[in-house]
Amino acid sequence: MLRIREDRQAVVRRIEIARVAAGAVLSLLAVSYWTVQIVRGEYYFSLSENNRIRAVKITAPRGYVLDRNGAALVENEPAYMLHLYRREAKDLEASVEFIVALLGLNRDQVRSRVERGRRDPEFVPIPIAENLGIDEVAAVEARAVEHPEFAITVSQRRLYKNGGAAAHALGYLSEATPDQIKNAGNAYGVGDWIGQKGVESAYERLLAGASGERRVIVDSHGREVAEEARLEAKPGQNLFLTLDSKLQGIAEEYFRERVGSVVALDPRTGEILALVSAPTYDPNWFTRRVTAAEWSGLLENPDRPLQNRAIQNMYSPGSVIKPFLAYGALARGLVDPEWRVFCPGHAVFYGREFHCHKKGGHGLVALRDAIKMSCDVYFYNLGQKLGVDRINEILTGFGFGSPTGIDLSFEKSGLVPSEEWARTRRGARWYPSETISVAIGQGPLLVTTMQLARAYAALVEGGRLPTPHLFLSSQDPKTGAQLRYKAEYHQGPTLSPENLKIVEGGMWAVVNEPGGTAYGSRVTGGIEMGGKTGTAQVVGHDSTVRAGADKSKLETHAWFAGFAPIQDPKLVVVVFVENGGHGNLAAAPLAKALFEAHFGIVPEAPPAPAIQAAAPSGGGIARASRREAP
Amino acid sequence: MIAGTLPGGRRLDLVVLGCALALAALGVLFVASATTGTRFDGLAGRQAIWIAVGLGAMVAAILFDYRMLLKSAFAIYCVSLLPLVYLLAFGERIANVRSWIRFGHFQFQPAELAKIATALLVAYLFENEDDARLHASTILKLGAIVGLPVLLVFLQPDMGLALTFLPLIFVGLYFGGLPARGWVAIVIVVALLAGGGWFLLKDYQKARIGTFLNPDSDVLGSGYQVRQSKIAVGSGGFSGKGFRSGTQSQLRFLPVQHTDFILAVIAEEWGFLGVILVLGLFAGLFLRALKLAQTARDRGGVFLVLGLTGMMFFSVVVNASMMIGLLPTTGIPLPFVSYGGSSVATTFLAIGLILGVQFRRFANA
Repeated sequence: MLRIREDRQAVVRRIEIARVAAGAVLSLLAVSYWTVQIVRGEYYFSLSENNRIRAVKITAPRGYVLDRNGAALVENEPAYMLHLYRREAKDLEASVEFIVALLGLNRDQVRSRVERGRRDPEFVPIPIAENLGIDEVAAVEARAVEHPEFAITVSQRRLYKNGGAAAHALGYLSEATPDQIKNAGNAYGVGDWIGQKGVESAYERLLAGASGERRVIVDSHGREVAEEARLEAKPGQNLFLTLDSKLQGIAEEYFRERVGSVVALDPRTGEILALVSAPTYDPNWFTRRVTAAEWSGLLENPDRPLQNRAIQNMYSPGSVIKPFLAYGALARGLVDPEWRVFCPGHAVFYGREFHCHKKGGHGLVALRDAIKMSCDVYFYNLGQKLGVDRINEILTGFGFGSPTGIDLSFEKSGLVPSEEWARTRRGARWYPSETISVAIGQGPLLVTTMQLARAYAALVEGGRLPTPHLFLSSQDPKTGAQLRYKAEYHQGPTLSPENLKIVEGGMWAVVNEPGGTAYGSRVTGGIEMGGKTGTAQVVGHDSTVRAGADKSKLETHAWFAGFAPIQDPKLVVVVFVENGGHGNLAAAPLAKALFEAHFGIVPEAPPAPAIQAAAPSGGGIARASRREAP
Repeated sequence: MIAGTLPGGRRLDLVVLGCALALAALGVLFVASATTGTRFDGLAGRQAIWIAVGLGAMVAAILFDYRMLLKSAFAIYCVSLLPLVYLLAFGERIANVRSWIRFGHFQFQPAELAKIATALLVAYLFENEDDARLHASTILKLGAIVGLPVLLVFLQPDMGLALTFLPLIFVGLYFGGLPARGWVAIVIVVALLAGGGWFLLKDYQKARIGTFLNPDSDVLGSGYQVRQSKIAVGSGGFSGKGFRSGTQSQLRFLPVQHTDFILAVIAEEWGFLGVILVLGLFAGLFLRALKLAQTARDRGGVFLVLGLTGMMFFSVVVNASMMIGLLPTTGIPLPFVSYGGSSVATTFLAIGLILGVQFRRFANA
């Protein structure tokens, strides 16, 4: 016990020493801080004032988008933004009043922005207004001495030069979504712009370039004083598209008041010279931050302007499908050019009456005239000979039922029915009478405008399916190095030239012989076009829609597919007008205009008399729809 | 307050309690300053919640007789090491180390509790090893008790946290009465081990150990953190730039400014006066706690207070030295003040144990 007592005293003594030592250590620390803060305080204060280095991202200028002839479609323009530096403001209220009066801003909006900015540290500038005009910038700069609290910053903004023109091919920019940031692996941050849809999205990596970095010295207000080091950004590539602004413009103009889509492409390469989806939208909206009203206007528009109708919407092709079936039947030896069908204006199959679009009938018709006048009864019989599975085989060979592989996202596949499809996918067996409808491009058969354009290209190119594309070449704005698109093809079944000639003869007659369904839109002046009209019934898939829809939505869809020059086609045009009426009246005239413009033909005056075009033609209108089939 | 509800009308030591509370309040204030408007916004509120949790633990520790804890110190020690073993085996890496266990939105560092348990066991060791002469066996036991958790935490790898256990060895050796030649021997052995080991390593291994011990060293170039924190401290001058007006901290030049570098924020915004306030509060706390150790009723209580105080003192000195480049940055937070739930809560638990010893200083309690 005695020993412990002694030990306790020893511990108490050691603790006493420890107290002194602890006090000494803390005092030494205080002295050290004195040295740093008081003795060398001025030095460190000046460092903190002047020697602040921050890394600032340099956004790479995004590549321009140009058409095939070098006309700019998408550029960048400077965007001016107004900031308020609170530390510089003597009287915040007066500053707000000043700027509201100077620029005619909304006082409440400015106030709420300032209020929101107050939560940030004082040196963080408060954004006051975006998208200032040059005159507004000048007005602010002119008063910079009296009002140093306001500062203008410049950034680059995407400018779609022709507004809504070719919007569906171009796409738009918007701030990267959280998912996109995650998928891009840190290449993008919050507030960074990224391409959405169109070539802006498809060629994002080419267009965006690589951002650089500046190490800048900022002052005590966070403002930049000097630059210490700089890693230049790598500007994005300029992108040349296959589009031809002249054709694009004519097609856009035609669709100003219409709904539908146009595809014009070079059948030899798949280069798309015009791509229209109407109605359109202005991609500039997104770059200027869409207002809630604009956004809901876009979303609630029943015509869905954001959708690319040329690849995203599927329709019954109507009679424009007939040349493919005619070729398929010839190639399989089921019919020969001399095989004739008598058309009294209607015919009965499987106990149901099917009508021809021409009430009085076409009389005795062979294949060439059946295409020329689009005789439905002929094709009913032809379809019956083929059967749905052979039709499926033929159409699949021309690329229907699968995406074309165009360099745009969200492309639909369309639908080519077969017995197996009916059994496994639809869940209701195939009725032979449906085959009769499919033979004139009605029934469950669905195609996109782009698929039709590719199929017509294959028809005139001996069965070779070109992959449609918008990318022509890209060019490095600094080095000038070019990257060119290498045309891709999908080889369908090899087509026999003799049989093709027969079908093409029919399509020549459609346009160039009196009595052809598109004679009114023939091209004169050295170049002849071939083509096919189509008038697709808006099938009452849902009779309630039919009952509730407004009448204009029940009007037939108008199609026209054409190519020229007929001897050696260099351009395929497919025009689709939703609820446009008849193909010869609503669709063919635009194709004519496009061919004339493309081949530099001055139309002969006077134009073809309207009466010739007025004859109802184009598509078979099967009175009885699929629903009424037994 | 608490004293009033306790039997016997004895009073808790208000100096220790007051200093601790004042420091915690400063912490909440400056965590708010350092995080408002950043992605860490709202951490000050969380810190306040953790302080409340810590105060609860503190009250429990005061009410609970520390003698019971000492008696079951070995069991407590063993249980507290289990989560550390678990973390090494299955732990999820957060900020590159496996030192946190997640409970929903909250994370907890079990090593913080292990510190207290280890201090308890060290106190229990010296309660029983009470010869006037310090035996070699005692030194070995002390080394084993402290060495095991240090190793486990070091492997996480959390170098800073592992270091904060080491003062317990010093406390044991010094207050246990290690004679002068013992100190000489220890210094020689440590120097030989460190030097010899270093020479045996190859260059790339040294570099690897360097990055292993301090993975952030090269992110922004060496010396960046210290340089920025020195500028922050120095530019604060005598009275500082004003609350929430520190340009270094508000412009985010300081690394982890709400945790390890919170003192630099205080030094910048409240200047030398702020530093003196913080150091003064710590001085009051430590000197008073040491005084309480002298009055403890038994040897176990003495060593418990000494161990807990020693660990806190070590963290404060290392952290404060880090700010102005006197020591390399090691990731040791400033007790009470730095953001960190486990740290704050267990520090208050330690205060509770110290006050518990003080509260039962009379043999008849």
